[in-house]
Amino acid sequence: MKNTFTQSMAWLHTWAGLIFGWLLFAIFVTGTLAVFDKELDHWMQPEIPATEVSQADAAQRAVAYLQAHEPKASNWGISLPTERSPGLRVSTGERRHGGGVQLDPRTGEAIEVRDSVGGNFFFRFHFTLDLPRNWGIFVVGALALVMLAALVTGIVIHKKIFKEFFTFRPNKGQRSWLDFHNASAVLLLPFHLMITYTGLVIFMLIYIPAGVDALFEGDSRAYFQAQGNARQEQPRQLARQPGELVDVAPLLAQAEARLGPIGGLNIRNPNTAGARIEIRPELGNRIALAKGQAMVFDGISGQLLSDVPEWRAAPLTQRVMVGLHFAQFGGYPMRWLYFICGVVSCVMIASGLVLFCVKRGRKYASATAQPSARRWYRVAEVCNVGFVSGLLLACVALLWASRLLPVELVQRESWEVRAFFGTWLLALLHAGVRPARRAWVEQLLLVALLCISLAALGGMADAMRVGVVACAMVLGVLLGLVAWRVRQAASAPQKTRAGRSVEAGA
Amino acid sequence: MMMWVTGGVLFAYAGMLALCQGLERHYKHVWNRPCPRGLRLGLRGVGWLALLVSLLLCAQAWGWAMGPVAWFGSLSLAGMLLVMLLPYWPRLAVGLSAAVPVWGVMLLLA
Amino acid sequence: MIQAPAWLQIFSRSTAALLGGYAFSYAASACLARLLPLSSADAVIVATLPAFIFYTGAILWAFASRDAVRAWAPLVLAAPLALIGFWPQALRWLA
Repeated sequence: MKNTFTQSMAWLHTWAGLIFGWLLFAIFVTGTLAVFDKELDHWMQPEIPATEVSQADAAQRAVAYLQAHEPKASNWGISLPTERSPGLRVSTGERRHGGGVQLDPRTGEAIEVRDSVGGNFFFRFHFTLDLPRNWGIFVVGALALVMLAALVTGIVIHKKIFKEFFTFRPNKGQRSWLDFHNASAVLLLPFHLMITYTGLVIFMLIYIPAGVDALFEGDSRAYFQAQGNARQEQPRQLARQPGELVDVAPLLAQAEARLGPIGGLNIRNPNTAGARIEIRPELGNRIALAKGQAMVFDGISGQLLSDVPEWRAAPLTQRVMVGLHFAQFGGYPMRWLYFICGVVSCVMIASGLVLFCVKRGRKYASATAQPSARRWYRVAEVCNVGFVSGLLLACVALLWASRLLPVELVQRESWEVRAFFGTWLLALLHAGVRPARRAWVEQLLLVALLCISLAALGGMADAMRVGVVACAMVLGVLLGLVAWRVRQAASAPQKTRAGRSVEAGA
Repeated sequence: MMMWVTGGVLFAYAGMLALCQGLERHYKHVWNRPCPRGLRLGLRGVGWLALLVSLLLCAQAWGWAMGPVAWFGSLSLAGMLLVMLLPYWPRLAVGLSAAVPVWGVMLLLA
Repeated sequence: MIQAPAWLQIFSRSTAALLGGYAFSYAASACLARLLPLSSADAVIVATLPAFIFYTGAILWAFASRDAVRAWAPLVLAAPLALIGFWPQALRWLA
């Protein structure tokens, strides 16, 4: 492209980084927030109590509720209280996020909980950008691939990667931005490469179905069967005869001994002779993602019908890679490591975006530059503000909306999403009409304010909710410091410019 | 578990600090004098050793499957903290390594 | 020789990266899946896992190659790789 390999890789890194960096920042921010999706769920629905009820008691109360209200349903779903999700939820029909009835684990009675998209919104946005699922997965996949290319080109062009491993020289304008971008990128390189590649592996067979096409004639059902994942046959005959459900508590104990902490259970064909109890583990006992795995018991006799199979090496490798991305393992200490790494990676991307403008500011922002170049530079500036601080504003606005919107509002979840995108749009417009520096300061200060004052919304009846608010406060203070620094730097540009080059009249 | 996690993070920081101080430019920045060759090599040796100890502590906390994952994360974040502290408060950045012997004492007492 | 305008070069290289890269990684995965001495189900996984390394390589090639035409080399390479991957289907199609 350019004359040398390094130059063309630098060109690719710069332009791919800029154009796709705006959406990549959104993906990384929502991904980082999704690390604590269940905790955010809990905060956004303050009606759910945090209790100390054992899973066995909670399960029995849930079954009693379902017996009383839905004895003839074909499938009962029960989400048990866990460390991250203290609520007890029952549903009928196939499991989806949301839907179903929230129960108080202490009494087994239904409780009214506000409709909310919850922290799950950030999780879904992270891999679909809120587009229809199949489109979104492809768009995000393409962006992840660009991220991979940006990482590799970044490594290739960073000539002094070892010499400048610990180098950060603040207060030197463009040099400092480059130092920071390099330091945050290089020091977290294992994380960046891992999170990007494993993200692609999650849907790799959707993106590149070549193996299934070549070896299974494109028949994905045949492929899944070959993996040993065939769905169990449902006993249709037996399901027509009545039967009495066995007590779930000893089965839970048995499953817990085998699988570790339990996440929930499904009871298929309850109250019939063909009843089946599927007990699934809480994700997190091993790195490999255990989604979809369950121990299946006969619902009448309590006999174990099918155990969780051991994975062979190849599917285990894939599951481990997926698990590394989902970060459901290792308890809260690991979760915090992922979260803080995520925050740093977001700042890394943002610093690259800002560096682009800082580097070209002098050339393209002044009145002597070409008008078309100036216009494009202005576009980059506005997008930087709108997609970085604007996105952060949208995220915190969602949290505020989830508490401020009236509980009885029809289609409450849609309104929460509208608050998110509406705020984002307003931020972009604000960035368009304000000078860049002022826009940065104003938006970052607003985000900081909203984060710090999250506590004012109340509803912090337990430690987890206090934790959410405390973390928001810390992030708010950090963003406030950044805003203050930007404001300080804004009042001192004349000094640095005059000191560096001969400029006729300041 | 938290004792091992804390130890893993502290040793990661100490290791990164030692490796950093084993480089001329960073040693000079903190102590305002050049670094004698023996000390440089010693610092690097201690640094790698500390990183190894960090790995062992992470494996103690999480097992050998999850431990290395946590170790990489700890190295990266410890390095990040060091890089941000060094230009502003270099003596503090170095002084933080005193948390390691404190942790050691607490481990013996527990 | 007349140099193509800059925007056309960039467009050509970008398309080569996106489409040529996809074709190349798709074909390479199929070829690997066919050649690996594993059970079919396992081969699919092991062949697809490195696909994004191939894709990234093709993207970098598209912008590093000497000219905008050479950027399409991965697409050309995809043809023989796909042939190896899909040779039973190819034979059936010929019959």
